Amino acid sequence: MLHPSTAVMPNCGIMDSKKVLVTRGTGFVGSAIVRRLAEKYPNCLITVVDLNPPRPQQDLQERVQFVQVDVTDADKVDEAMDLIKPDIVLHTAGIIPPLADRFRRRLEEVVWAVNVKGTENVLTAAQKVGARAFVYTSSCCVTTDDMRFQYANISEEWPRTSTSLIYGESKAAAETLVLRASNDHTATCSLRPSVLFGPGDCQLLPSIHACIAKKETPFVIGDGFNLWDVTHVDNVADAHVLAAENLTTSQTAAGEAFFVQNEEPITFRDFCLAIWAHFGHVPPWEIHVPKRLAYFAGLICELATWATGSSTTLSRGSVQDACAVRYASGEKAKSILKYQPRVDLKTGIRLSCEEYADRIGVKLPRTPFTPKPQARRL
Amino acid sequence: MGFIGNAIYFAFHPTQLRSVIQWKVWHNPPHERNEKNETETQKICFKFLDLTSRSFSAVIKELHPELLFPVTVFYLVLRGLDTIEDDTSIPLETKEPLLRNFKDVLSQDGWNFTGNRPEEKDRELLVQFQHIIAEFKNLKPAYQTIIADITDKMGNGMADYCVKAEKEDASVKTVEEFDLYCWYVAGVVGEGLTRLFVEAKFGNPALLDRPELQKSMGLFLQKTNIIRDVREDFDDERRFWPKEIWSKHVDDFEDLFKPECKEAALNCNSEMILNALEHVEECLFYLAGLREQSVFNFCAIPQSMAIATLDLCFRNYDMFQRNIKITKGDACQLMVESTQNLNVLCETFRRVTRSIHKKNTPKDPNFLKISVVCGKIEKFIETIFPTQRAEDAQRRMKGELSHEQVEKQKAEAESKSDLFFLMAIMAVIVLIIAGVMFVTAWFLGARFDLAWKEIRSGNFRPSAAITHQDL
Repeated sequence: MLHPSTAVMPNCGIMDSKKVLVTRGTGFVGSAIVRRLAEKYPNCLITVVDLNPPRPQQDLQERVQFVQVDVTDADKVDEAMDLIKPDIVLHTAGIIPPLADRFRRRLEEVVWAVNVKGTENVLTAAQKVGARAFVYTSSCCVTTDDMRFQYANISEEWPRTSTSLIYGESKAAAETLVLRASNDHTATCSLRPSVLFGPGDCQLLPSIHACIAKKETPFVIGDGFNLWDVTHVDNVADAHVLAAENLTTSQTAAGEAFFVQNEEPITFRDFCLAIWAHFGHVPPWEIHVPKRLAYFAGLICELATWATGSSTTLSRGSVQDACAVRYASGEKAKSILKYQPRVDLKTGIRLSCEEYADRIGVKLPRTPFTPKPQARRL
Repeated sequence: MGFIGNAIYFAFHPTQLRSVIQWKVWHNPPHERNEKNETETQKICFKFLDLTSRSFSAVIKELHPELLFPVTVFYLVLRGLDTIEDDTSIPLETKEPLLRNFKDVLSQDGWNFTGNRPEEKDRELLVQFQHIIAEFKNLKPAYQTIIADITDKMGNGMADYCVKAEKEDASVKTVEEFDLYCWYVAGVVGEGLTRLFVEAKFGNPALLDRPELQKSMGLFLQKTNIIRDVREDFDDERRFWPKEIWSKHVDDFEDLFKPECKEAALNCNSEMILNALEHVEECLFYLAGLREQSVFNFCAIPQSMAIATLDLCFRNYDMFQRNIKITKGDACQLMVESTQNLNVLCETFRRVTRSIHKKNTPKDPNFLKISVVCGKIEKFIETIFPTQRAEDAQRRMKGELSHEQVEKQKAEAESKSDLFFLMAIMAVIVLIIAGVMFVTAWFLGARFDLAWKEIRSGNFRPSAAITHQDL
């Protein structure tokens, strides 16, 4: 559902004929940002920087320029930056370890190289060529990856953790770099989206959908009441454009971090149930697994993994994830960036499921979620 | 249920009985009316209050003395208005001007009305209405203005509705009309009460700047009643559920009550409940603006009853077959929880919300919206009563202890030193007693020198038995 007040395009002209650089612009978040930018500012000049050229199905619009750069290579980044001389840099490039490595340290070096060193390279290069604004795509994990605690309705005053998981640590370190660098020449800010979903998602929806085939849908770990934030990718894209607007005008967001999400905290169980229902699946029954038991099972799985050298989905970490309370207050993003989620959860989930069904060649059944349910008269 | 029925019921539901006892034994009204000093007309007012209201009379009578009479008179005036509107035997030509000018009768000494049909339940109230007018005139002018104002608004709203019902079809079609209807029958009252509270300095004046809050208070209660009473209303040929909602699930309103449309009826009910739940956040916000215990109780009890009623109705097909009610024990528990403070009340709301959440099923077309509205209520409660604060998290990061933890450590250290002190005293007492015993034994002729010699030579026990040689 489009929010009427933001559907109209405000501030036309703020970023017209500005040069905007989007790192990892063919990625899930990056491409959504490019779409939003192109829609809102038809006259701005967009350059996409990415490790890989766009795949055929993601044809970039003609006016979007593409430069192939590896952000971990400082010289190459400098070179590209010199060539483009952007006014605004939106740095979305980053690496999220796959679930099996989320709780381990195996990929620490790679993650650190891309997320921290890569960010440093892009930031320094942007400062050198005199970019006015630098928006960093951080993550709520800078706070919530510290698994010892629960995070109900947290605000930006909560600390970034320095000891959590490799992803959270690397994002926190990079965010610190970015926010410290904010000055009169280059204003910076950081956006912390929560778990992302939306059309083109290759991580979340596919793995939730896969539970149906694996017959894992009846299992509920813990009481199932723990709330999460999720974020539709178009809303994150919106927030990036709003942040860029802010940093090129009033700069009230300079040096600040913002939690960005759908403002509709939902239990992770319900999020999954809604997706399954779109694919015509309702778990025939529910089995509640107490958290302690699941945690113990996770430990056993980890030991087995350690012994056999395979990878596991069930681990102590994933059990903690499943029972975690993680949602943030959106007040700061609302008051400073004027951010409001445009795509609500219901619409967002429907669109994502439709797109994913298309991608894997499945026809969605007629579900209770289709607009007019059948009123049967016998 | 007679006494025996009750006894059997409570024998099998001890927790319910416990709640009832708790309420009856431990509830102390914040203010009790002083019957001795009451005038004759005041007593009559209270008599009518008992007669006309089942649920409100008790909470009204516990109100702060400042508001006791204003609210009682306010209630009775609106009840009078209602009795005229409800009476289908009064022709529109009489009824319309009566409703529209009802505010003026408040200033006519001795006015009463005998035009109601004999079977009208609250007929007697209007027959003796002069007493209520007399009491109205004794109120402070500021309260009189508020009551007259709301009577005017409500009378005109009712008249509009009656005219519409007579001339065209007055059934509720859109959700907007539904809100408007609920506003006239319950929301306006909320406005009047809010103004009375603020006038008496028992409510935050900011409540008047945010009328949507008190509107939600009234709408939430009214919508809950409309949802719960759907069967009763249907049997009386009244229907308040908006067509915009039920038409998504069934073709005709009657179908809701047909067994073959059970699923559709339940889904329709869910959508109605979803519509009502959207007011909860604003209701809690409103309650946070009240500053006096009796006023808080007065407002909070109906609200917690309402959300518990929604929980009872949610995905419960019984409500399409008969009139359902929360049990007496549950009601008492809710009253206990609603007469303390906002924090306790919020816990109740969180518990009931989770109970609704638990019954939500993905087969329901509004599954996700219901889940989101429940999540939002929890988030809102978390914003007013945070379970954790950023400062604590900051401290935890630095490895420092929070204020409470420091206190706790201090307390622990204190109790430890207390323990040592006690043990030292005990030791001293033991020593003294032992000393006294030794001295006493010595006076009585005990030979410690022999005992000591024996011990040194390794004989720790006296020799086992006395032998013959010793004799």
